Amino acid sequence: MTDIPQHPPVIRSAVYKDMFGRIAIPIIAVVAAFLVGLIAVMAMGVSLERAISAFINGAFGSAYSISASLNRSVSLALVGIGFVIAARAGLTNVGGEGQIAMGGVFATALCLAPGMAELPFGLSFIIPLVGGAIAGGVWGAIAGFLKVRAGANEVITTLLLSFIAIWLLYWSVQSENLLRQPMTSSATLPESLSIPASTQVPLLTGSYASPVTWGLPLTIVIAIAAAIILSRSVFGFNLKAIGFNPVAAARAGIAVGAGVVTALFVAGALGGLAGAVMLQGEQYSLKAGFCSNYGFDGLVVGLLARNSITGVIAGALLFGFMRSGGISMEMMASVPSALVGIIQGMIVVSIAGAAYFLDRGSAR
Amino acid sequence: MTMELFVVFLASSIRLAVPLLFAATGEYVSERAGVVNMSVEGMMLTGAFGGALGAAMTGSPFVGLLFAVVFVLPIALLQSVLTNTLRANQVVTGIGINILVLGLTTLGYRQFFGNRSREMITGFNAWSPPLLGDLPVIGPIFHQAGLAYLAVAIIIALAWFISRTGVGVALRAAGEDPHAVAISGVPVIALRHGAVLFTGLMAALGGAFLSIAEIHTFTEGMTRGAGYLAIVAVIFGNWRIWRIVLACLLFGAATALQFQLPAIGVQLPNALLIMMPYLLALLAVAGLVGRQIAPRALAQPFWK
Repeated sequence: MTDIPQHPPVIRSAVYKDMFGRIAIPIIAVVAAFLVGLIAVMAMGVSLERAISAFINGAFGSAYSISASLNRSVSLALVGIGFVIAARAGLTNVGGEGQIAMGGVFATALCLAPGMAELPFGLSFIIPLVGGAIAGGVWGAIAGFLKVRAGANEVITTLLLSFIAIWLLYWSVQSENLLRQPMTSSATLPESLSIPASTQVPLLTGSYASPVTWGLPLTIVIAIAAAIILSRSVFGFNLKAIGFNPVAAARAGIAVGAGVVTALFVAGALGGLAGAVMLQGEQYSLKAGFCSNYGFDGLVVGLLARNSITGVIAGALLFGFMRSGGISMEMMASVPSALVGIIQGMIVVSIAGAAYFLDRGSAR
Repeated sequence: MTMELFVVFLASSIRLAVPLLFAATGEYVSERAGVVNMSVEGMMLTGAFGGALGAAMTGSPFVGLLFAVVFVLPIALLQSVLTNTLRANQVVTGIGINILVLGLTTLGYRQFFGNRSREMITGFNAWSPPLLGDLPVIGPIFHQAGLAYLAVAIIIALAWFISRTGVGVALRAAGEDPHAVAISGVPVIALRHGAVLFTGLMAALGGAFLSIAEIHTFTEGMTRGAGYLAIVAVIFGNWRIWRIVLACLLFGAATALQFQLPAIGVQLPNALLIMMPYLLALLAVAGLVGRQIAPRALAQPFWK
């Protein structure tokens, strides 16, 4: 029964069709989802004008809102880039949420470590950033190790590790032995102390009126580096070979196991870095709800980008600005921000479904 | 721990396991047919919402159940069409549906319940079956909502159906070698559609149990990962129905322990107990607890 085709029939893979799929389908999906959103706003009896202006104000209305949106996009982009790197080796990293959590926990611990705040040359914030990235990386690498050693499916292990990390985060802010601030009264919140100013990621403009952090240029550099490494380096080529056919890659002398572990380490490290940047650049203290779904949204951004770093940037910007707009819509026009979730869900579902019409024409 | 406390612990373990039992056995059927539904989470949430809405509007928990099923079926159908007809990535579509449903139910909740959120919904009360419920000492264990007994009945019927009927065998084969199944003339895609819709039905019951038999109200995102835990139970149960049932009971017990341990003076971090199911499942897939054998064609779209 070896002659049964395992892949969709290769019909034709015209270039224009690919272009259409990469650009037109996401645009159509986004526009259609927004239209449905507008209809929902009307159905709720809220004035369209009010809802739209609240959304636009929240997303791009001021230097402050643009900065907040960009900071959100940075976290999504980092997770998304990591996802694309792992996907190049045929690996699906579902663990972004947990990798962010581990990054946040370790960055907090390092920021609050004795002596950290006094370190010179910006080391006071760089070391926690690096530590957070390594923590997330290790969390990702565990899944890679389990895949190589025990053949465990990384979709399952990264998801499980994610839940474990989320509860480790919860534990660390609940227990005074870990990161919880000293309980002076029964009203002391289950969160960490605020991190010292010198461990915070500096703002680009230096002003809280436009609080975009150095995370933005860092992410741009990482995106460019990732694009070059994936398309031009030996490492990128090896990942592609592993993703295409691990058995053939091994025959060709590529260290498949090491490649799998490294790919998931890098993906996890970018998630961990996102967590560290979120903590040191925006939230400044660790809380149980710290990750706020950036891991899952970042995963979606990576998935929809169909393996392209440019796609990740576009998706991260879209979702980042949508989040800000949605929050403002809830506050200013009393349209529940759940509507943004509905729009995002529709975008994901329709783009994923539309892949059929593209993949049918080419062997995935 | 006194006998009395232990019986209370067992009873609450079972009560906490029921929503998982519904959802996990439903997901078991899909996964044996080769489809992973990350959307079980969203299906349960929709079931919880539909159940609460129906029960609150009419005062009858049975109408609640009906609403739960009617609300979930379109979601299950969407998942099924995406994964089986359009061969879309199962993980992506599942997560997309979860995002969509979280938004829809939150919006629906604000629209329909609004300020009435604190009100208790008329739901199913626990019930003691004759004879079993009258047993000395262990009688209270059987004091459960009727839905719990429905779960037991469905699981027994399902175990027979999957192992003994032709359709059951074909379904399992569709998850192992769909091409062989197709060659023998069985419509693989139709089987998989059926399996996903069944998962939807079971997840609807599990979700409705949460809102109308356990908590008696709906809150935003109230399933809090129960659907993912059901998927974890399928993994930890190694895709075998009775082991999955045991996994659900074990996970229910771990949750119940959170409330029981402080009562007997044991201080253990809550997080550790909540984390336990995920940790156990991770050890299982890592091969440290027996060998895991997933259906071979799991999560792979079927192309003729």
